[in-house]
Amino acid sequence: MQTESAIQTFIHETGGWAASQMEACTRCGMCAQACHFYQATGTPEYAPVWKIELLRRAYEQRFTLSGRFKAALGLEKRVTDDDLLAWSKIVYEACTVCNRCSMVCPMGIDLGPLIHDVRAGMASAGMVPKDLADAVQKQIDEGSPLGVTDDVFHSRLEWVTDEWEVDMPLDKQGAETLVIFSSIEIMKFPTNLAAIAKILNAAGENWTLSSKAREVVNFGFFDGSEEHTVLFLRRVIDGAKELGVKRIVVTECGHAYDALRWTAYNLIDIPPEIEITHITGLMGEYLKTGRIKLKAGAFDGDGRLTFHDACKIQRRGGHIEEPRQLLNVLAPNAFVEMTPNREAGICCGGGGGVIAIKEADPLRFKAFELKVEQARQVHADTVVMSCSNCRLQFTDGVEHFGLDLKVRGLAQMVADALIEEPAS
Amino acid sequence: MASFELLPVEKGILRCRHTGEFTPEEVQSLAAFLQDYHGKLLIDLSGIKAEECIGNIQQFRPMMPTAAIFGVPLDAVILEITESYYIHPVQHFDNEEEALAWLREQ
Repeated sequence: MQTESAIQTFIHETGGWAASQMEACTRCGMCAQACHFYQATGTPEYAPVWKIELLRRAYEQRFTLSGRFKAALGLEKRVTDDDLLAWSKIVYEACTVCNRCSMVCPMGIDLGPLIHDVRAGMASAGMVPKDLADAVQKQIDEGSPLGVTDDVFHSRLEWVTDEWEVDMPLDKQGAETLVIFSSIEIMKFPTNLAAIAKILNAAGENWTLSSKAREVVNFGFFDGSEEHTVLFLRRVIDGAKELGVKRIVVTECGHAYDALRWTAYNLIDIPPEIEITHITGLMGEYLKTGRIKLKAGAFDGDGRLTFHDACKIQRRGGHIEEPRQLLNVLAPNAFVEMTPNREAGICCGGGGGVIAIKEADPLRFKAFELKVEQARQVHADTVVMSCSNCRLQFTDGVEHFGLDLKVRGLAQMVADALIEEPAS
Repeated sequence: MASFELLPVEKGILRCRHTGEFTPEEVQSLAAFLQDYHGKLLIDLSGIKAEECIGNIQQFRPMMPTAAIFGVPLDAVILEITESYYIHPVQHFDNEEEALAWLREQ
């Protein structure tokens, strides 16, 4: 029964696009070398091409003549419950859907979305790892996977407003920009709330937060369930519609940006007048247009500093140059690049929901060692990033390995270096 | 004088001793410290009254590393938080000895 449900989802997800991608694959295996889990462990099952194997089998056995023959003659395995169990671990615990594999595929196959389709099949078969499934259920029941209930949200805002002495408008009709934080920022990194509010206020932005769209995370995007993804996307878009905003700014969260900026348009109606962007892009725009001014070299005296490219914000989202432009003002002498970087940057190992799965901890720390090595090679004292999920992975990793490495959010640095214009 | 001080207890454990109500600058400063600190905390509230610190204890709870709190009676509800992958264990104890013993076992 579980298998049938997964197969039906695989088949449902296999339209012309997915079929063409799978037909184009030559099994060259180049994608393996791009995968940080494969690189870190050498485990053949972690090769991205193997991660989509169940989708390929379902497609071939349903839609191709040779596949039907092979299946009928017993030359190719049918998908079984045991397969689902095995692949559930592979696609949820050993894949962050970072899509670095697609960068190296000589056939141009976009493997990330195909792996996401495998997760969709797993979700329909009830094969999502328990920790992740529990977090999804919390988001369904309470509106947040991390416990940001209505009460918690308001109490947190009040605390940050009072203690950081910063204005944070809430449910402001007529605001042009809706800013939505991720739950990890609200709970673990509340300094980010104050920092981003300071930046927006300094830029003179007409902005607001929303009680309805109070957090932007979308754990449905992690478990792969379209139903869940749509449910959580609607909360955000409905909140934006109610306030009549023209722009939604996703703060330092990667997967939520991918879900809202790219995936949402294929799943729900989003008013065309609403622009969706990321705080990294917005900060870059503010700097370029002179809406904010930063103290040049503010972080030059704090050792060497490097930037970690987040898969969903830099590689997927394209906000590659803005953080560098900002860091070249903030720390022109201290900023150094890790290699590889930009769109080829290696994932931190905690994305795609992996960080939420306790059983995946050894694997995510193993993958994180690649980042540690990259930072070590450039003698970095501080690693900066624009994704709070990456930031949590780095914070955990630094603790786990006992590293002498500082972890910083980009928005926090920008806020700390703001030059406040004297009141006229 | 600051309303809190950080003192080493032993390798991997710091005592965070509170001596008065926090100013906004002290809240910000403690938040910044918690972002960079990766050891365990022995939170000593013996220098203040419970009503002076409950609000901040509750707000700092999601950011805390593994921590043992003692020094004032605290309602267990104050430390309750939705179970999640990002949180560390935090417990309240009646005295320092119990708190430190638990912290060493973590």
